[in-house]
This record gives sequence, structure tokens and C-alpha cells, in this order.
Amino acid sequence: MAEQEPIARAEQELEHHAHAGRYALVWIALLVLTVTTYLAARAPLPGGWHVAVALVIATAKGSLVVLFFMHLWDQRGANRLVFATSLVFVALLVGLTLLDNATRFPLANPPGSAGALPAGGANREPAPEAPR
Amino acid sequence: MQASPLAHHFESLEKQAHAARLGMWLFLATEVLLFTALFAAYGVYRFLYPEGFAQSSRSIETWIGFVNTLVLVTSSFTVAMGLDAAVKGNGRRTALLFAASVGLALVFLGFKAIEYAHHFQEGQLPGRYYTFEGVQAPGASLYFSLYFLITGLHAIHVIIGMSALAIVGALAWRGRFTGEYHIPVELAGLYWHLVDLVWIFVFPLIYLI
Repeated sequence: MAEQEPIARAEQELEHHAHAGRYALVWIALLVLTVTTYLAARAPLPGGWHVAVALVIATAKGSLVVLFFMHLWDQRGANRLVFATSLVFVALLVGLTLLDNATRFPLANPPGSAGALPAGGANREPAPEAPR
Repeated sequence: MQASPLAHHFESLEKQAHAARLGMWLFLATEVLLFTALFAAYGVYRFLYPEGFAQSSRSIETWIGFVNTLVLVTSSFTVAMGLDAAVKGNGRRTALLFAASVGLALVFLGFKAIEYAHHFQEGQLPGRYYTFEGVQAPGASLYFSLYFLITGLHAIHVIIGMSALAIVGALAWRGRFTGEYHIPVELAGLYWHLVDLVWIFVFPLIYLI
């Protein structure tokens, strides 16, 4: 308990320190990144790169918001652990779901979709009309 | 809230603040996963119907999403500045900055309303209500199903968030918070930043790619 005291006080001082300058910098960075992602979406890039660039910029913006506006940068481990755990589940949910779809047997994909056989290409009756 | 903000089961205000913050982060984690379920659905259908999604995404007005991103990011900044004022014990300033954030949230919802009205006119609607002539690729109506689910759920969060900011701002104006005790200001701010965080991912996924 006696050892924790100075740490807690230091943390409290850190939290109570004025953050106005830091907030302004983060805000400007967020505005710049928003304009960047808008322009990058218009730039001629090879296929697939638009998605990657947009997601990288979004992740950078999200990190700025979480670390500085939401103060995970200078908060206790427990809060960071909770947020990091939620990110693990985000990765599992999105990653495994996409992996499932990416490795499917073509006939398992709905008609009209990218991985499916062309309508009528299967050796029996043609596929029903694709949902629009 | 009683005269003293310290509840009797807490040893000190500081411990109470940490408990409140941890509880808020647990709640925010569930919110992140709520939106992730929709993003996963978006990922699957974008993967299955790349052409329909790309065309649909190009068929909506990018500038509205772009302006709304700037608006929300700025409102997050004013909320952060409001917390800064609360830390310094300046409740009036907190209230004014939160009022600015609520105003920006209204601007955001206004643009959203213009956008939704446009989609209804064009027939860019989910499922069998989809009558938009511009894009007839497979998956286009799925794109708009997800579009309305994601932006609609986000808009509900905007409304909840601006209500929280308005209530906490009013309390701050009446001098309920001090430099030592301002945890509601911080938690309302955390919620608002989450709303901003979700939009930061909605903007590129829905509008840009």
C-alpha cells in the first residue's frame, strides 16, 4: 500500500495535467488524416490498395482517438486490457468469418457472388435468380 | 447524487473514479463488438459481391460522409476540451463546450437526414424495396441493407451520446462538478469518443472503398 501511494499520486497528477495542447494536436492530425483518406480514395491505385490504404488510415485515426481523446495512453492497465481484449475479439470475428468465406467450396457461395459458379454453369439445372 | 459524490462503499474518490472508468470501458468493449458484428457482415458480403458493393459505394454522395467525418472529429475535440475545463474546475466552460458538441451532433444528423431522404427518393433501399436504376449488380440491395443498419445504429448512438452530453453539460453549468470530482464528464466524453471512433471506420468502408 505504501509503495503504491506515490505511483497513484503521480498518475493522478498526470491525469489532472492540462491536456489542451495535446488535444489540439490530435484534432489537427485527425483533420489532416481525414482529408488524406478522402484524396487517397480518389487517387489511381492498383486494385486492392484502396481498401488497405483506407483501413490503415482509419486505424491510425482510431488509435489517436483511443489513446489521447479517451486517455488510454496514460491510464491504468485494467482499462487497456479491457479494450485490447475487445480488439482480439474483433480480429477473431472478422478474421475467421472472412476466412470461412474465402475458403468455401464454390457451390456453397450464393448465386451471383464472386466465388460462385456462373448461373447455369453447374451440370444440372441453372441456379435460381440471384437476389439483387 | 448526494451532497458528497463519494459513495459509502468506496474508500476514496480516486478509487471510485477508477471503478467507474473500468465499468465504462467494459461497456464500451461490448459496444465495439456490437458494431463489429455488422462490420463482419459487411466484410462477408463485400467479399461475395465486390462489384455490387463497389458500384453502390460510388453511387452515394461521398462529400456528405466526408463533411460528417470532419464534423464528428471536431465534436470529439470540443468534448475533450470540455473535460480539460472540468479538470480545471471550470464547469461553465465545460457546459459551453459540450453545447458546441451537441450542436455539431445536430449538424451531423442534419446531413444524415438529407442523405436518407435522397436514398428514399432514388429507391436505394434494402431488399425488395430496392428500385435504384443506377446500379443493378447483384449485392447492391445487400449493400444498402448494411448501409442502413450500420449508419442507423450509429445515428441512434449519436442521439444517445448527445443526450448524455446535454445532461452532463447542464449539470456542469449548475456547478455540480469540481476539479476533484468530474467522473460523469469523463464518462459522457468516453461514450462520445466511441461514437466518433465507430464513424472513423464507417466513413471509409461505406463511402470510400
